[in-house]
Amino acid sequence: MELLNLNIPSWSDLAYWRPEAILCGTFLAALLGDLIGRGRRPAISFVISVFGLITAGAYSVAAVLHGGAAHTIMGDLIIVDGMAAFFRLLFILAGLATVLFSWTAEEIMGRKRENKAEFFYLTVLMTAAMMVMAEARDLLMLFLSMEAVGLVSYVMAGYMRTSLRSTEASLKYVIFGAVSSGIMLYGLSLLYGMTGAMTFDGIRAGLLAGEVNGLSLLITVILILAGMSYKIAAVPFHFWCPDVYEGAPTPVAAIFSVGPKAAGFALMIRFFYTTLAAGADPSASAPLIELINWPLLMAVIAAVTMTYGNLVALRQLNVKRMLAYSSISHVGYLLMGFVLLTDAGLAAILFYLAVYTLMNLGAFFVVVALNNHIKSEELDDYAGIGFRAPWLGTMMVIFLASLTGVPPFAGFAGKFYVFTAVMDRQWFWLAILAALNSVVGLYYYFRVVKAMFLTRPAEGADTTPLKIHWLQYTVLAVLAVPTLVLGFWFGPLKVLADQAIGLLSTGM
Amino acid sequence: MDTMLPMGSVDVGMNGHFATVLIFVLIGFFFAAVALIVAKLLRPHDPNPTKLTTYECGEETRGSSWIRFNVRFYLVALFFIVFDVEVIFLYPWAVVFKHLLPLPELGVLVFWEMVIFLVILSLGLAYIWVKGDLDWVKKLVDRAEDEPPRRNPLLKSVTNEEGSQ
Amino acid sequence: MTAADLIFYALAALTLVPALWVVGSPNIVHAGFNLLLTLLGVAGLFAWLGADFLAVAQLMVYIGGVLVLVLFTVMMTRVPQAREADSGAKRAILPGLFALGVLVVLLLVATGTHWGAPALTDAQPTTAEIGANFMTSYIFPFEYVSLVLLAALIGAAILIREPRGTEEDDEAGAAVETAEEEVQS
Repeated sequence: MELLNLNIPSWSDLAYWRPEAILCGTFLAALLGDLIGRGRRPAISFVISVFGLITAGAYSVAAVLHGGAAHTIMGDLIIVDGMAAFFRLLFILAGLATVLFSWTAEEIMGRKRENKAEFFYLTVLMTAAMMVMAEARDLLMLFLSMEAVGLVSYVMAGYMRTSLRSTEASLKYVIFGAVSSGIMLYGLSLLYGMTGAMTFDGIRAGLLAGEVNGLSLLITVILILAGMSYKIAAVPFHFWCPDVYEGAPTPVAAIFSVGPKAAGFALMIRFFYTTLAAGADPSASAPLIELINWPLLMAVIAAVTMTYGNLVALRQLNVKRMLAYSSISHVGYLLMGFVLLTDAGLAAILFYLAVYTLMNLGAFFVVVALNNHIKSEELDDYAGIGFRAPWLGTMMVIFLASLTGVPPFAGFAGKFYVFTAVMDRQWFWLAILAALNSVVGLYYYFRVVKAMFLTRPAEGADTTPLKIHWLQYTVLAVLAVPTLVLGFWFGPLKVLADQAIGLLSTGM
Repeated sequence: MDTMLPMGSVDVGMNGHFATVLIFVLIGFFFAAVALIVAKLLRPHDPNPTKLTTYECGEETRGSSWIRFNVRFYLVALFFIVFDVEVIFLYPWAVVFKHLLPLPELGVLVFWEMVIFLVILSLGLAYIWVKGDLDWVKKLVDRAEDEPPRRNPLLKSVTNEEGSQ
Repeated sequence: MTAADLIFYALAALTLVPALWVVGSPNIVHAGFNLLLTLLGVAGLFAWLGADFLAVAQLMVYIGGVLVLVLFTVMMTRVPQAREADSGAKRAILPGLFALGVLVVLLLVATGTHWGAPALTDAQPTTAEIGANFMTSYIFPFEYVSLVLLAALIGAAILIREPRGTEEDDEAGAAVETAEEEVQS
């Protein structure tokens, strides 16, 4: 064993990895704080978590402003590049918003709830794990980071121990998660068998160098897609999604609907782009993509996912469930960017993910804020809420309009980029189908708006104005303002997304 | 390789080592089988109802032995697995520790790496300890107290013990 | 057929036959115990392939730990129902056909692929090498695993710790209470 030839990571690697290291430290510190408070002072963990997330966020912003090339660190297992920096910001935003909002959410902090402090530091750990998912460039880290995010998610889904629905949600999540991880592992083992490489670059080199059997590669890709589709809740691995969102505490559903999903997309972009498409001449299609007919595969998955999500969402009377199906349909729109694995398509995915994070978190948080008061997520109980909490109602309208994709909201810009990326390569049927789906979305999103503003509450119902905590208003405003502004001033975010993907294709 | 880990005076390769294990396993089965067969051949065979009861003396068993277990067993088993996996990670480290420690560029790293690993996992032990998951008999009253105490925490623990009695 | 082949087929049989039992047995306690043999067979296969460390890890973690957990889980279910559980021979037709299809596809993949990974010719003890890798190239996943294990521990405690009281959903609490009564009686 030639020890001196082994790749020994140095401490200086941590310089590129400060936000993640800070979050891991925050997790441990908040855990210790909880233990020192003997489990009765969740405020300690809350404050530590918020400070840790803000510090990590500051370092992430600094890293983006500083720019710079891609660095492979930690013994070449982790890559910190423009895309990683982009997703860092996204995850920290989602984590910080969730932690802040949960502080006032009854489902987490209610008088009789248990394990309050755990929620905060588990969210921090999940944020760190999602960041690692976006940075993995090796099969080992790919699997490990996915399992880390999964493990924390299972716990958070079953958070309300006294609620049968929450327990059921956790159980479903675990079982589907275990099955899909197993399927994915099998695919990864096949890939290793074909190429003898663990890093994504090495796999690409192995695939291009050796003789590749089309069927074997197709099956391998499908098996690996199974594991990743589960993370992003694409059909046919979406079954857990509505039940988990409905059963889990709403703040948890909020972060589930954006965090692990975005992390799954980050992993998919890096993995499939690097192994199948990178280095190919952009004007011609890459041979590996041709070999397995990747565009058709992804187009079908995207079309089925968005249509299914939208059609089922039409029939939902529970707002949380409706948002769950709507998030499935958004995964369909996002997958459209994957069809050709081109830079334009992937950049559109990044842009849409950023916008989606803002608007979907916002919509879920409004549900949390209302749940604190009316203890319900049924559409019927939302009748007339718009008059009892006008600001909250207005923000919900902003988020829902953006989710629908009507101009001038951010969702429109996001959809615009995804659609054009697909149409550039003559996939018109997919674009038309997506446009039709958006029209369907209009119906069920605006049913909520109608209930809130146009329906009279039942006779004798409580009509006193709702008191919303200032912290909730602040977080919602921080999400709503960019949702509005990005609708017409989306240049900088677009540049950031383009840069992130540009580095991905050249920086390897 | 052989300079790092002397596995024996003769290098027989790994299959050689496992062949030894296999032979041991086979001999084990062989001995058990021989003992049973010889006993079967030699012993007298003369059953009667009393002899056939489960115990010739002591309590008759009552009810089914298929009772439902308490969930606490499961919790302890789960904790065991987590630390079991930890041991698995300790083992390869222990094998090479002595060889790597003298190396100037690795020695410090090798030591502190495992210290960090163990500290992180002992936080887990501290967690289940503080949260009372290791108490076999739960202090229900203790956990029912939800609001953070406003009094001196030292006094607090005293009142809790009173409450649970 | 060489002696090595013979050992392989014996180990494969040790893995597969009890595995069939696990899937088909109407008694989940028997299924649990048959899992022991399957896992033992897998450990044997690891050893046969020269992965000595994996074989021992399999023995310690799966047979020594996970299997105990599985058996506890079986013991915690409603045993009388579990013992007479319907094996569902009729309902097995469709999944069985699906499994057959998967088998065919996987066989095609296994035979059609040009395997690029280097074949292991001279197996050597792997533990030292794994240890050295943990200390060098794979330091990061090594430390990361400790965080994952910690999260698993906390998560297990949160999910299994007996809930204190109930509010809106009383069913969960009631179920726990009846379970307690049954254990005590």
